[in-house]
Amino acid sequence: MRKKIAVQSIMWLSCFIFLLPLYWLCISSVKTTSEITRFPPTFWPDHFEWSNFTLIWERLDFTQTFMNSIVVSVSTTILSTLFGAMAGYALSKKRIFGKNVLYQALIGTMTVPPAVLLLPLFFIIIKFGFYDSLLSLILPFGVTVFAIFFMKQYIDDIPDELLEAARMDGCNEYRIFFQIVIPLIKPALTTLVIIEFVNNWNSFAMPLVLLQSEEKFTLPLKLAMLSSETVAVPWSQILAANLLTILPVVILFILLQRYFIKGIMDGAVKG
Amino acid sequence: MSMLRKKLKKVDWSGYVFLFPALLILTLFLIFPIMWAFIASFKEIKPLEMKYSGLFNIPGEFVGISQYIEVFQNDLFIKSLFNTGYFAIIYIPITLISAAWLAILLNRKMKGVNFFRTVLFIPYIISIVSASLIFLYIFNSEQGMVNAMLHKFGGLNGPNWLSNSLLAMPVIAIMSSWKMIGYFMIIYLAGLQNIPYSLYEAADMDGANSFQKFWHVTWPLLGRITLVVSVLLMIDVLKVFQEVFVMTGGGPGDSTTTVPFLIFNEAFKYYRIGTASAMSYILFFIVIIITVIQKRSVDKRLG
Repeated sequence: MRKKIAVQSIMWLSCFIFLLPLYWLCISSVKTTSEITRFPPTFWPDHFEWSNFTLIWERLDFTQTFMNSIVVSVSTTILSTLFGAMAGYALSKKRIFGKNVLYQALIGTMTVPPAVLLLPLFFIIIKFGFYDSLLSLILPFGVTVFAIFFMKQYIDDIPDELLEAARMDGCNEYRIFFQIVIPLIKPALTTLVIIEFVNNWNSFAMPLVLLQSEEKFTLPLKLAMLSSETVAVPWSQILAANLLTILPVVILFILLQRYFIKGIMDGAVKG
Repeated sequence: MSMLRKKLKKVDWSGYVFLFPALLILTLFLIFPIMWAFIASFKEIKPLEMKYSGLFNIPGEFVGISQYIEVFQNDLFIKSLFNTGYFAIIYIPITLISAAWLAILLNRKMKGVNFFRTVLFIPYIISIVSASLIFLYIFNSEQGMVNAMLHKFGGLNGPNWLSNSLLAMPVIAIMSSWKMIGYFMIIYLAGLQNIPYSLYEAADMDGANSFQKFWHVTWPLLGRITLVVSVLLMIDVLKVFQEVFVMTGGGPGDSTTTVPFLIFNEAFKYYRIGTASAMSYILFFIVIIITVIQKRSVDKRLG
């Protein structure tokens, strides 16, 4: 019994420590400009300055930035889930010349550090004429090796007899994929959708290299520019913008965390 | 002729159709860039030449391994390796021990397991840029929470964390630990839940106490996960870039310049395409060595 209480209190303490930075973020984002510069800082705001959110929203033209982030994240998520599932299905159930070698080679590329790709992608994108457009953030990430690997793991579990039976009934290959395989892997698809969405929403290095004009910027890029801005933006407003950026993914995570955590656990056990 | 056509029609081509979009994208935007950087690391390329070259044409003069030699003679590159090491000796132990410990505590029936798991995992889904901004402010010397607490509960005047060449990197490392502990805790939990319950039952039958059960059942498996986790952590260490970009810009006095940050500057600030590529391949080579060692030792343990 005493042990149980000890474990509980350690867990509560850990959660407290983990949430402290987020607490500081929240309370600081609603402080007034005079309170945020006060020393020593207050642990609870004297006055809730909600206008920080509207002010910084207008100042940064956040409507445009939000739209950019949504366009990029939604398109890449749809493409990479669809193409990942298709490729995973082909590599799992189809006869393809040199299949195993191809699959091993693809898995091997997962060890390549992102820094290797930065410069070549920059030049390739310029040659394609996509530089400084949202397309440059969508097309190259329209499929990931992770998505293929993740989908293949689940499609491997579908019994071949099931697909063979559908074939006997005269189902063509494309109907088999869209009407039998896809419904069977729905939970895995949901997991992949969340993982891909969060990854693209948070992506920073590629937008930094591939975008130039501010009206194309995605959220992380705009935020990073804030910290190095020469024009003094009060910290309360920077943090308000930060909070607005974090909220969508945190809400998405809390709603769908079951899938998210299961996905990572499955990935860990199988990988 | 018609026989051949019939035969071709009978072959199921749909697999290639399913594979095609993914393969096209990966070839153009993953495989080709990997090869591009490899070739570029042996060539001296002037930025202007890049402007007029075709898509599949890498201009410049072939210079052998001279750019690799140049990189190793670059003091800043050697320094960035040491900086990365400094980050690693703080980040890896904190993350590994906390993640394993929290997973062991959570791997039991108790109230609020789901709540704890969710809370500890939240930092992981926050972007590195957002997390860096939060920590930049928390460790602010005058308005930050850390110094405010030192002042309130210890009566101390805290240092100016991010302007101190010894303290800046630990702050970045602590931020990364805060972000990643929840993730690795989940990986440990996945491993722990994979221990068949029958093993514990068998141990019970043999009259093992809870310490013996931990030592003989939990620990051997935990050791194997730790091996995998430590490799993932080491690869994490070699990726540190965004947090440096946002929090310190490599300073003070280059004390937080990591290898990826240096590669970024070399490429996009000084336009030294060849040496930047050589640096990135040295990084790649380090990752390969780590991965091979890990694979060897996992195979050894599995017998």
